[in-house]
Formats: sequence, C-alpha cells, structure tokens
Amino acid sequence: MRQLLALIRLDLKLFLCDRRALIMLFIVPIGLASFMGSVFSNSGGKSSVGGGMGILLVDQDVSAVSRGVVDAFANDPTFRVTVTNEAAARDMVLNGKRPLAVVLPAGFGADALPGLFDTNRKPVITLLHDPSRSMERSMVEGMLVPKVIQAVAQNGLSADLGRDFIRRGLTNLDRATQVGARDQQLYRSMMERADEFLATRTNRSLFGSAKGPTTGSPAKEFNLPLPFVTKAEALVKNTKSEYNGYAHAFAGMSLQFVLMSLLESSVGLLRERESGMFRRLRAAPLSRGTLLLAKGLSYAIIGLLSLGGCFAFAMVVFGVRINGSWPGFILCLVLTSLMSAALGLALAALGRTPAGTRGIGIAVVLLLLMVGGAWVPTFILPRWLQSAALVTPTRWALDSLDAMTWRGLGFDAALAPAGVMLGFIALFATITWLRFRWTAE
Amino acid sequence: MSDLLLDAQQLVKRFGPRTAVDGVSFTLRRGEAVGLLGPNGAGKTTTISMLSGLLLPDGGEVRLGGQPITGDTDPRKRLLGLVPQELALYEELTARDNLEFFGALYDLAGAALATAAESALKFVGLAERRGDKVKTFSGGMKRRLNLAVALLHDPQLLLLDEPTVGVDPQSRNAIFDNVEELRRRGKTILYTTHYMEEVERLCDRVIIMDHGRIVADDTLSGLKQRRTSADRVFCELVEVRDGSWLAGLEGIAGISRAELAGTRLTLHVTDLHGGLGRALEHLRRVDVVVASVESQSPSLEDIFLELTGRSLRDG
Ligand SMILES: Nc1ncnc2c1ncn2[C@@H]1O[C@H](COP(=O)(O)OP(=O)(O)O)[C@@H](O)[C@H]1O
Ligand SMILES: [Mg+2]
Repeated sequence: MRQLLALIRLDLKLFLCDRRALIMLFIVPIGLASFMGSVFSNSGGKSSVGGGMGILLVDQDVSAVSRGVVDAFANDPTFRVTVTNEAAARDMVLNGKRPLAVVLPAGFGADALPGLFDTNRKPVITLLHDPSRSMERSMVEGMLVPKVIQAVAQNGLSADLGRDFIRRGLTNLDRATQVGARDQQLYRSMMERADEFLATRTNRSLFGSAKGPTTGSPAKEFNLPLPFVTKAEALVKNTKSEYNGYAHAFAGMSLQFVLMSLLESSVGLLRERESGMFRRLRAAPLSRGTLLLAKGLSYAIIGLLSLGGCFAFAMVVFGVRINGSWPGFILCLVLTSLMSAALGLALAALGRTPAGTRGIGIAVVLLLLMVGGAWVPTFILPRWLQSAALVTPTRWALDSLDAMTWRGLGFDAALAPAGVMLGFIALFATITWLRFRWTAE
Repeated sequence: MSDLLLDAQQLVKRFGPRTAVDGVSFTLRRGEAVGLLGPNGAGKTTTISMLSGLLLPDGGEVRLGGQPITGDTDPRKRLLGLVPQELALYEELTARDNLEFFGALYDLAGAALATAAESALKFVGLAERRGDKVKTFSGGMKRRLNLAVALLHDPQLLLLDEPTVGVDPQSRNAIFDNVEELRRRGKTILYTTHYMEEVERLCDRVIIMDHGRIVADDTLSGLKQRRTSADRVFCELVEVRDGSWLAGLEGIAGISRAELAGTRLTLHVTDLHGGLGRALEHLRRVDVVVASVESQSPSLEDIFLELTGRSLRDG
C-alpha cells in the first residue's frame, strides 16, 4: 500500500512538473473545445452527408396525403426514414438515437388543402428534435415544404376535393352574418366560376400530371401560401435543460487529449523500462502488479483532473450545466478516466517497444476518437461504421457524458454506458496483466 | 550466522542466440569487498541483474543468506542495495523527493524515511542541495545521489555497477571515499569498475570476467603471484650500434621477449634470478654497456590484458 501510494504520488508530482503535459491536458483541449463549441453553437452546425440522415416519421393521420409525405421522405436518399408512433419517437430523440421526428397530426390530409387558403385551419406539423442537432432540424424543415406540397398536389388537390371544398365554403357563407351582402355576392360568384372550372377537370389532378415528381420548389413556382405550419419542440429530459454545444465539444476534446497524453505516458513507461529506472524499481521488493496498478491509478487520476478541469472551465465560462444526474456524471468521468488509463497500459503491453507502442497507439486512439464521435457526429459516418462505433469505448464515454450534461438524463441512463466501460476496463486490464513485461528483452 | 552472504552457482543467461553469462560461480563473504572486472560486454551487468533478482537465470541459482530469492516481493531483496550503471533518478524532482520515493518502495515512511533520506544525503555530501531539482546537478553530483538512493534501506550487500563512470576526477574521488567508508562500516561490496587503481585500493579480491565466464577469481596478491605474467626489466644502454645481438637474448632461458627502442631495452623476464643474470652476461659478451637496470612487477592491468587479451578501457 505504501509502495502503491508512493508510486502514485511520484507520477502526480512528475505530471505537475511537466509543463508540456499540463498544456496538452488543459490549455489545448480548452482552446480547441471553445473554438469547436462556438462553431457548433452558432450554426447549430453538424452537417449531414454520407450514410443518410436517420429521421423518424409519425403518421397520426394515415390519409393519402400523409402517406404521400412519408413516401416522399422515404424515397429521398438524403434520409433514412423510420415510421413509428409518437411515444417511441419521443423516446428515441430524447436519448439521442435520432436527431428528430416529424409528427403529422390526425386530420392532416383533410386540413392541408383548406390550410392553403385559411390561416386559421392550417394543420400543425410537430418537429420533435434533439437540440444538439439544429442542422438536421433546419434541413428537414426546409424539405417539408416541397414534400407536403407534392403530396397535397398529388393526393389532395384533386378537382373533386376542390368542388367539395367550394360546396362547404358556400354553405358556410350562407350562415355567415358579418359579411356584407355585396361581398357575399362577389365571393359566391367567384366560387361558382371556380366550381364550373373544376367540373371540367373531374378526376384529374389540378396541377400537372398525377404521378410526376415535383421539380424545383413548387411553393415558389405556384406562389402558393404554405398549407401547414410547423411547431418545433426540442426534446430534453429536464425542463431546465437547454442544449449547449460546448458540452459535447469539451467532452470530445478533453477525452482526445487525455487519450493522447496517456498514450505518451505509456510510451514513457516503456522507455523507463529500458533505462536504469526499472532496474532500481525491480531491485526493490515491488511486484509487477503493484507497479501496474499504481500506473493505472495515477494515469486515471491525471485523466480525471484533465476531464474535470476542462468541464469546470466549460461550466464557468460557457455555462455548461450538469442537467442530468451529478452522481451519474461523476461516475462517467471516473470510468472514462479509468478506461483511458487502462487503454494506455494495454497499448504499452501490446506495442512492446516505445516506438511500436506509439505507432499502434496513435492509430488506435485516432480511430477510436473518430469512430467514437469525438470530432464529428457519428451519423455522418457510413452505417457500418456507426454500428462499429458501438464497440468503441470512446463512443460510450462520450454518450454518457452527453447524457449527464445537456441531455439531462437521470442516473439510470448512466448505468448502461458505465457497465460497458467497466467491461472495457476489465478487458484492457487483462491484456495489460497478461502481456506487459517487466524487462525489455 | 553463516559467513557466506551470497552464493552464485553456475549462472547462465542467454539473450536469443547470445549467451551473455555462461556458467558463472562465485561467493561473497560478509564484509568482503570484491572487484568485478571485465571488458564491455563481458556480462558483468547481466550477472549483477541476476544477483539482484532483476533477471531470472536460464540456469544456475543465486542464494542470498542461504536462501534463493523467490519472486518480486521477496523480503530478502532488502539485503541488497543496487547502484545501477545508468543514472536512475527523476530529474524533475528534488534530491530529497527522489530519496523519499525510493525509500517508500522499501516500506520506509514518516520519521524513519526522513532520517534515512537525510543521512544518505549527508553521507554523499549533498545535504545542502536536498531541495534542488536533480536536473540542476552536475554529472558527479548525480552519480553521488545515485549511490545515496541505494543506501536508504541500509542494505548489507551493495552491488555497485560502475558507480564512478563518466565523472570528473574530483567527484570520482568523493564517490570512492564514500565506498571506502561503507566498506569500513562492514558492508559487503561487489564493485564493478573500469579503474584498476580503485580495485587495487578497495578490494580484497578480484573477479575477472570475459565472454560471460570468470577467467580469474583471486586475491590481488594471489593474482600477482601467479606468474602467468612476466616481470619487466628496463635496461638503459650507453650506446647501440646495431641490434644483431637482440635475437640471442630471446634464446636465453627465463627471458620470454626482448624489445629495443632507441637505447631502452625491455626484457620480459619469467625467471628474475637466473634469467636476468644470464641476460646481463650475454650483453657483456657482445660489448653492450648497461647504464642502469630497473625492474617492474606486473600490474593488475597487465594481468587483465594477459587474461582477456584486451585492455580494460578500450572495451
Ligand atoms: N537485454 C538484453 N538483450 C539482449 N542482449 C543483451 C541484453 N543485455 C545484455 N545483453 C548482451 O549481453 C552481453 C553482456 O552484457 P552486459 O552484461 O551488459 O556486459 P557488461 O556489463 O559487462 O558490459 C552483451 O553482449 C550485451 O550485448
Ligand atoms: Mg555493464
């Protein structure tokens, strides 16, 4: 125990003396994360290319028009559509599984057409979105206009429907009392002319060919008013929660530098093994297990200091809040640090030589960071890579930190990532135990 | 308590195809100071590694105080103090922090640790610099601290692997004085060095290694009495006209070699009494006048050269 504490104290002292390490673990990640956080916060800016943006559609109407909207999204290669119910959609968006869900309300098909003319009757399409994914939100919002118009034009705006609408309008007009007699007469004659026109186009689509794809922006082409309004609803668990782009940026950047730094420490450990230092350590009655445990713990403490320091900075300067569970947040930070430390040692065990470890280590760490979503959101990666991300410890670490910070999820949401991270820690520790050699032979 | 502190039997260590240590056996008695000499690559460091439990021998056994060292945490390791050949210090830490860290590895703590660190610092004359970072030290000071670290837990046996290598003569003397003092205090010492005069001053016994084997293990006087090596006799000649008589000298019984450089004649004499007399008689007969005669017994360096075919320092 005394040996263990002495070894840990030694590493911490050395760390505090090492200006380069301090810069790597505090200044650089804070600087980079501040920059990335500001970029992401302002433009909401994670762009969507590649594997298709996975979105959810909730069709509560099940009319020809609503089905048309669903099909329009489904046929668009930009999107990967899953149709589900509202409760499931809320859950998936809330937990960050999809960036957003489009909810087409009951009566959507029936109201879409009158909505074109009557501002009071426009159906409300709800966009349930992840506040960290504002780019996807604006993209879907933009695409809704042509897709709904296309669907209405193909399925709703038929001549029969138009005539039905005119009949209902005229009936209403009879009951209207505040409208002046002259206005009533003018309106009635306009409607009757329109009805006459529609009677000649029975069973034909009003605009263009029935099945033709909409080209360009129909909303502009016909200069039609929009047949619907959208209501955006940002989904976060806690009502206090508000998306903060800095939270994710700080998690990603600090994890990146912790991994890089601990890799460097592991390379240093191997270099020490080649030097007289290890001869001295080994001449003492010190076991390999104590040394490795001490290294693992001191690396984890250094990692924790860095992650904690970066988050503290983000809280003070950029208003990042732990909207979820504090114990969950601490648990995730601790496990992330332990996981990073164990990874560093496992790389040292597998790399064998300092140069070999640096080579393998940089490749592995960069891959884990990229696939795990430290730099770019994982959804822009090809789908097989997105699945691959689930077996990277970095992905679980970052997701758990997202969950505990701005997503505002409770302690139970930390349990699954914590379990997975514990698994990775056990795996890396086992590799280290089996493969790390005392002597450089 | 047995007189025998360390007993190494038939140690073998291979690194891949190369056998670094090949059947080394020797013993160290309590209080003995033994020099371990050998050219670079002879296997001295590897031997010391096996003695201190750093390397597992491929063959043979090391017993310390009668028992083999088993495992990394064997408390018997406390009997040993190792001064590694390379400096093994944390440059970014102060002298004191270094000592306290290594002391803690031997389970020293609190006042005991502080006292041990302080007396080790005093012993090597670094008490004034205790609070300075090691990176500000001169090479000699680092060597002294390197020694101090090995003394913290008051070991009985000191394994010193070239403790004075690469330092200025002044520091060398200081370190050497320290080692002599340790010897006076009754420590058992195995001392590896390139400096013959240190061994001659310090050690009762010398072990000479070459190519992983022990080629000599004897007291200093025993080594010199072996007479495997010849005495040398230098004769200053008055005048040298030609060297035709030189070959005749080498035919004389008791003279192994004769060399002439200017007026200086060097005779390698294996039999000082008869051989030298016959040689002088031969010179008188060929009318070579000898102005002075001076003789020199073989140095450790000569013995080493003869045993290993290499000079100590050219590696
Ligand atoms: N870790 C090692 N791996 C491979 N060869 C080694 C290793 N350590 C020592 N050797 C080789 O073993 C031989 C003896 O080395 P060493 O014991 O260091 O010699 P010395 O200390 O006498 O100079 C040398 O040939 C050296 O190259
Ligand atoms: Mg050596």
